[in-house]
Amino acid sequence: MTGLFKSRLQRHLREMAKYLRLVFNDFFVFALMFLLGGLGYGYSNVLKQLKMGLWWEPVVVVLVLLVTLQVGRFATLIEDADRVFLLPKERAMHAYLVAARRYSQGLAQTTQVIVVFLLAPFLRVALGWSVPQIVGLLVVQVILKDTLLRLDLASAYQVTGQRRMNEWPIKWLLGLVTLAVGVWLTPYAAIVLAILADGAIAVWLQRHWQKQQIRWREQIKIEDNRMLGIYRFFNLFTEVPMVEGTIKRRRYLDWLFKSIKATHQQTYTYLFSRGMVRGTDFSGLVVRLTVIGMLLLYFVRGDWLPVLLAALFIYLIGFQLLPFFQQYDDVVFTHIYPIAPELRLRSFEHLVTLILGVAALLMWVIIVVANLSLVTAGIALVVELVEVWYLARIYTPQRLARAMKNKA
Amino acid sequence: MALEVSHVVGGYSQIPVLKDISFDVRDGELVGLIGLNGAGKSTTINHVIGLLTPHKGTITLNGVTIDQDSQAYKQQIAYIPETPVLYQELTLREHLEMTMMAYDLDQKVAWETAHKLLKIFRLDNKLDWFPANFSKGMKQKVMIVCAFLTQAKLYIIDEPFLGLDPLAVNDLLNLIEERKKTGASILMSTHVLDTAQRYCDRFVLLHDGQVKTEGTLSELQAALPEAGESLNDIYLSMTKVDRA
Repeated sequence: MTGLFKSRLQRHLREMAKYLRLVFNDFFVFALMFLLGGLGYGYSNVLKQLKMGLWWEPVVVVLVLLVTLQVGRFATLIEDADRVFLLPKERAMHAYLVAARRYSQGLAQTTQVIVVFLLAPFLRVALGWSVPQIVGLLVVQVILKDTLLRLDLASAYQVTGQRRMNEWPIKWLLGLVTLAVGVWLTPYAAIVLAILADGAIAVWLQRHWQKQQIRWREQIKIEDNRMLGIYRFFNLFTEVPMVEGTIKRRRYLDWLFKSIKATHQQTYTYLFSRGMVRGTDFSGLVVRLTVIGMLLLYFVRGDWLPVLLAALFIYLIGFQLLPFFQQYDDVVFTHIYPIAPELRLRSFEHLVTLILGVAALLMWVIIVVANLSLVTAGIALVVELVEVWYLARIYTPQRLARAMKNKA
Repeated sequence: MALEVSHVVGGYSQIPVLKDISFDVRDGELVGLIGLNGAGKSTTINHVIGLLTPHKGTITLNGVTIDQDSQAYKQQIAYIPETPVLYQELTLREHLEMTMMAYDLDQKVAWETAHKLLKIFRLDNKLDWFPANFSKGMKQKVMIVCAFLTQAKLYIIDEPFLGLDPLAVNDLLNLIEERKKTGASILMSTHVLDTAQRYCDRFVLLHDGQVKTEGTLSELQAALPEAGESLNDIYLSMTKVDRA
């Protein structure tokens, strides 16, 4: 079973490496270096002006450590099919889970050490702590993380009539109490507390795991969520096929569809509009880009720069919308409905015109407010109108018609 | 002659799955498409609904091929897939409305039919739910309601009996019977042979991408006299020839 985990881990790490290469491209590394440099500089400035013995300083320490404690989840790499194929191996799964916990420690504990390390100057300046005290706090933090991961492992098993052990109030409370003792009293007492908690869970687990069933469904769900979080992050930088948007009902937006009449010509407008509003993928993209564009435009002044920037954002939105046309290609009815392909294309054009039009209008209002210049407002309006018209009515249909032909 | 499949060679890639198959479905007739897994039932259906283009041969529906007039061809077909396929973002009500729009149905008349169908399949209180979250059987019922909403000339039903509860199977068979009386044709693929034997007017037995035999039960019995009485026996003997 540890062999199974090892081979899965290898596959997992290969996949992560593939994506990380894409995430840490030159631009991102460059931006990151600047960001870290800036943050480091700011931190050192704050430290210089810091006075000892203020009431909020220990609170900050506890909060930072408490949040850090939640970083680094229990990575089981369990898959959906496991609840069928590994069911007969349930007892042997314990070794698998233990191996998984051991692996999870790596990233989790590294994070803890780095954060305590970064916090060390603050502890020295603000709380006047000695090096042994800081090392003591580091030990507390590491044992606490170990405890939380053990809780995760223990709650992989069913406990009849008892609440799940890794529920968040338990996790946060345990950390809060121990860290508070460590910061306000002495880290050495906190070490004892943390060891007691860790030991108690270890003993419980040792006694119980052989008699309990694994909560397959929950574990699969937890792992799926964990992976989805990772993929979502990667998805900010590159296409990740595993990320499927979620659907939200958004009943409060139903008024948007009122003007769409239920006629044959409007069939795809009916579908596209609902898909756009209720799906989180594309609507999120449009909203994000529009909001970022508006924020930037608020701070940018000049005759041409705002116009260029607005044009760029409209182009970005329009370009990113293109794949939405194929959103329903895997629903067989898209091909079976007796609807002329031109109608589908026209519906899509309408949708793109509307979305780009609203985004352009919003950005234009910001340009006007930020610059208060008739000339800029006029130029921006003309440029935006032409661009929206070109993108929605010329570029989009051309591109999509070509794509449809290639497919047929 | 509603549907006429004539000398069709086809499949997903250049390697043909269907090797020159021909059969027809007449007006008001329920034809069962019978065959093992991988015999070519779904491929046949995909050709008929126009998802695949035949390498050779023609498929005509009341005199129209899909190449002549794809609109007129598709207008006549309603399809119930084996695995329910739904639009994730649409509620049940919107699925029905979308079907009405796509087939250009009169909304008032169609909604009357819809309410009747929803009642039969006990979905009438779920109009504002997302069917994507339904159980498999309930999703299948949504597919049935959407298909029978249209006044199609040809219903294509891919393996309808698995996943439906017995009551729903019975209701579906009644619906099929009712539509047959109005002159509609049904092509249905299935493995549930005893139900097929009782309800289908004719059978097309597919094996390894070829039509082994076709005809009514008595015609099949006459063609394979030593095979046995039931469709099940005939079918098993047919596949055995190949295994031996």
